[in-house]
Amino acid sequence: MENAIVMKNVCKDFKILNRHEGLRGSIRDLFSRDYKTISAVKDVTLEIGKGEIIGYLGPNGAGKSTTIKMMTGVLEPTSGEILVNGVVPYKERTKNSEHIGVVFGQRSQLWWSLPLIESFRLLRDIYMVPKKEYEDMIELYRSLVDIEPILHKPVRQMSLGQRTLSDILAAFLHNPAIVFLDEPTIGLDVSMKSKIRDLIKGLNQEKGTTVILTTHDMGDVDALCKRIVIIDEGKKIYDNDIEHLKSYFGSYRTLRMRLSDDTWEERVIDESKEDVMEVILRKQKEHKIKDIQLQEISTEEVIKKIYEGA
Amino acid sequence: MENVLTKQKHRRGFRFYASIYRKILVQDLKSKMSYRADFIISTIGMIMTNLSGFVTFLILFKNFPSINGWDYHHMLFLYGFSLLALTPVQCFFDNNWNLRFQVQSGDFIKYCFRPINVFFYFMSEVFDVKGLGQFAFGAGTLIYAWVNIGIPVTPLLILKLMLFLLTASLFMIAIMNAAAATCFWIVGSGYVMVIMFRFKDFAKYPSSIFHGVFRILFTFVIPIAFVAYYPSLAILESDSVPVLTWCAPALGVLFFYLSYKFWMLGVRKYDFTGS
Repeated sequence: MENAIVMKNVCKDFKILNRHEGLRGSIRDLFSRDYKTISAVKDVTLEIGKGEIIGYLGPNGAGKSTTIKMMTGVLEPTSGEILVNGVVPYKERTKNSEHIGVVFGQRSQLWWSLPLIESFRLLRDIYMVPKKEYEDMIELYRSLVDIEPILHKPVRQMSLGQRTLSDILAAFLHNPAIVFLDEPTIGLDVSMKSKIRDLIKGLNQEKGTTVILTTHDMGDVDALCKRIVIIDEGKKIYDNDIEHLKSYFGSYRTLRMRLSDDTWEERVIDESKEDVMEVILRKQKEHKIKDIQLQEISTEEVIKKIYEGA
Repeated sequence: MENVLTKQKHRRGFRFYASIYRKILVQDLKSKMSYRADFIISTIGMIMTNLSGFVTFLILFKNFPSINGWDYHHMLFLYGFSLLALTPVQCFFDNNWNLRFQVQSGDFIKYCFRPINVFFYFMSEVFDVKGLGQFAFGAGTLIYAWVNIGIPVTPLLILKLMLFLLTASLFMIAIMNAAAATCFWIVGSGYVMVIMFRFKDFAKYPSSIFHGVFRILFTFVIPIAFVAYYPSLAILESDSVPVLTWCAPALGVLFFYLSYKFWMLGVRKYDFTGS
């Protein structure tokens, strides 16, 4: 399989001034050369194939955004190599951006006061999308989501969900080889979330677009990604199929118990260390248990375990 | 047009940028017009600002009939010239004032994801209509002074006027670019911008009234003297034009280029931490 993105031993350090307290301290800072180095990304090697949807996960401050900023050419890696569609992003930022689309966090990249359709037309001109391809893309959008209600609405008047939807559509408009989606479903209601997941899946299937998805919502991961990459404290700690990850935690079960006051209590049990029956019996002594459920460990729990250092 | 654009893929030249700018401008004006109250208030504000500046000028001249050998009409010429020279920075580069907010909040990163020049993309987002009023005011003043001084109207002088107005405006744009770009390195860049913007008030006086350190400062360090004084001499004293006036066009281009490079250096060096 051909690769869309190749990263080899990529590191990124930030230099941060050691600040001193008080007025005298700030004057000292003016002339200070006292920097400390923070490694945001440490020796990450990664290959992402064409057409894949990758879940790029990690706790806050793990280095996800920094990696994506390097892939999009905004930041220069301190060391290592990155190739995106065969281009070194930092050296040829403009060329790189022809073939990528980015939806970054909660920040709309559309023209705030313009109706969506006018933003689309400007993007068409900026990316020099041929007329036919542009019209086909709009047709495809129509077949995947109901865009009529938002097409003529200025972005500033849109709801968060509509704005996110618009930003995703705008990111795919020039049919890029890769789209970076940074927390696309954050803050959205359940129905909007599923609408957006369907849209991403549909566009990936129709256009073969590679999608790099960072998220804290395991629902996104379950719905979209086969493979996940987990990064923590700047290091890649996992890179494989999501099912493979779950099998690591094969002996884990989620036990849910409904207590006499009708509340559900939930806990994860490692069956190789603890017996499920024993846990239930112990609980039974304190509370009356009205109902129990035993489930396979969820992706959410698996990721939580990994972040906590299991 | 459509076909020309597709054939030239990856080559985005002057025509491409001009066409994109025009399209953004048209859309921007359309949406501005739809906020009528906003439009009317800012127009009134602009007229008041210009009028009060003009009244200050008149009061000054009631008390001092001439400043350093410059009489009323010559001063008026300089005043009109400076207003015209300050129009482009007001109209096309006003987004510099928002740069520090966008950089600090992290929103600035969006300008780095498109296959077009970051500086162009950033500046293209704001067109300040207030500058147009300033242009009208400046043009009126300049024409009035021109006629009263009795300068002949020849094609050569008109051409000179255009060239030196453009030159003068490049200096002011350069000053504001450089001042705004300091936000990539320091937190208190707002003060730098306000101070630089205040300096423009010195532009409407002949720089011969400044002495010693200030003259050198306003000529070579913060080139305010080039925003009106030196360029206007090309028309006011066309017999004995000083050397610095002739150097002005080249220096203007140089200053603008340096300020652009400084601005872009800030973009490249900035860490964009946090998300």
